[in-house]
Amino acid sequence: MDGTAPSQLRALVTPERVHRSVYTDPALFELEMARIWGRAWIYVGHESQVKSPGDFFSTRIGRQPVVMVRHSDGSVRVLYNRCGHRGAMVVAEESGHADAFTCCYHGWRYDTDGRLLSVPLPDGYGDGFDLSDPALGMVPVARAASYRGFVFASLAADGPDLKAFLGHMATSLDDLVDRAPDGAIALDAGMHRYVYRGNWKLQVENVLDSYHVPFSHASTVNRKGEQFSRREGDRTGAKVVAQKKTSDAWKGRRSYVTGPGHGWTSNTALDDGKRSSPSFDAYRKTLADKVGAARADEILTPQYHNSMIYPNISIMGLNMHVRVIKPLAVDLTEVTIYPVRLLGAPDEFNSRNIRLLNVTHSAASFVQTDDLEAFRRAQEGLQSQQSDWVDISRGLGEERPDTKYNAVGELATHEMAVRAQYQAWAEYMGRTG
Amino acid sequence: MPDVDREPFELFLILEARLLDGRRFRDWRDLFTEDGYYWVPAAPGQESPEDSASLFYDDRELMQTRIDRLEHPRIHIQTPPSRTVHLVSNVTVEAADEASGEYTVASNMMMTEYRLGRQRLFAGRQTHALVRAGNGFRIRSKRVDLINCDSAFEAMAVPI
Ligand code: FES
Ligand SMILES: [Fe+2]
Repeated sequence: MDGTAPSQLRALVTPERVHRSVYTDPALFELEMARIWGRAWIYVGHESQVKSPGDFFSTRIGRQPVVMVRHSDGSVRVLYNRCGHRGAMVVAEESGHADAFTCCYHGWRYDTDGRLLSVPLPDGYGDGFDLSDPALGMVPVARAASYRGFVFASLAADGPDLKAFLGHMATSLDDLVDRAPDGAIALDAGMHRYVYRGNWKLQVENVLDSYHVPFSHASTVNRKGEQFSRREGDRTGAKVVAQKKTSDAWKGRRSYVTGPGHGWTSNTALDDGKRSSPSFDAYRKTLADKVGAARADEILTPQYHNSMIYPNISIMGLNMHVRVIKPLAVDLTEVTIYPVRLLGAPDEFNSRNIRLLNVTHSAASFVQTDDLEAFRRAQEGLQSQQSDWVDISRGLGEERPDTKYNAVGELATHEMAVRAQYQAWAEYMGRTG
Repeated sequence: MPDVDREPFELFLILEARLLDGRRFRDWRDLFTEDGYYWVPAAPGQESPEDSASLFYDDRELMQTRIDRLEHPRIHIQTPPSRTVHLVSNVTVEAADEASGEYTVASNMMMTEYRLGRQRLFAGRQTHALVRAGNGFRIRSKRVDLINCDSAFEAMAVPI
């Protein structure tokens, strides 16, 4: 990277291309950590992961370790996972329960809201040493808020609130949560984790990239051009092959963008009317009993296939899961995928979703693995100086405002959503204040 | 531990591993009974594959879909294919019912995988539920508990 002046950073993205250094330059990665991951609302975890006071879940915002914990007053807090003494990470386990957090190094003890409770051998400190000094505690991150159980945090004290940040994307979270007969979901059915040697934005782009599907995932498709079923109650999967007779399926598939880099693709062309199986039918009945048949039909005609809330969380409505993207280095990314359990739905129905997700998104799955190979090869290919630019021009100029969704819409096989992500990237990166 | 000669079991596990290393996936699948399954949990001590995510949880039908994909010319994650070597050791027969011909066999496994200039190692404990069939056995279930099952993996394409 030649310089970090706002105009130089913005010049790395044009309407139809992205400079390759955006994927490969460690200095840009450092800047992203401050300007994107240090500003945006970052999804941290789900309230169902910390059901009772003292339950905690440790993760990272960008590269910074944080812990999400339910305090004794019932509220969910997000604290930097760093000892107020000499900086050791206090919570080592990924999840668990603690009445208080104790640092392993010299034994400082913290309440679940981060307040310093006690230090060993307190006599060694002078009169000016004050346990209630917040700087000696595990400090809460600047802002934390939740929407329908999804906990987000921002490391920046200023900026739009969570509601404004999510904007229309809140309805994507609604679309998922409303499917639960009890009106709440739980991310307590384990997780899939994978890591790849590539930039984090390769995964972010891919979530809304329907162009790659027919080719990249060709090995998952049968002779009729259909993928295996990915949703309980469907007899076949979606038609995903690019042959003429099946390519019509793609014409109905749209993508939309809204807000700072967010977007979604509309529901896969599946026959929702014919969806049926013993466990699906039982689920539909449970839902209809709770919300009425008309509303149940509406809920079961989902609007969203994949949603991306930039920069780190995506939701899939087809085989229901929440995906969390964690950048580790400019060329190393970890992704965690949580199966969604619909509370109030029959166990068998939730179980089918969990099992189908093994097939599509485990590190050993049939679908995700080919994406991972593409990410790795993209990172390697971008080392080449053949060109300094990556092309994202597909469908440029065909974006149209969509009043139904208050968003901008386009064919999902075009690259509008990727362009919107890089416009957001340039906006975050080019802002110094 | 039951007083059973472990040699035939050890030999069976060695031959199973050889099928995997030889990429003879269809023959490997045929070792399983019709209701057989293959399970690699994603959490240590995972109690059930029904209520929690798994790395692999394949019945015969899913195994077939997996194998069709492994044989597909456009499986990018296996272009070029992985080369693997399995080691199976510390074999013990944990339970035996000679009357019904049903056995539970525990063993330790290691699989070294090489692909595109990189080599990696998987290690774990495996549990086979076997049922006698003619001179040999068939697999009613195979569970592999990798010691790092809950870590983040680079893509895995071949059965462990
Ligand atoms: S570093 Fe935590 S108690 Fe000293
Ligand atoms: Fe994909």
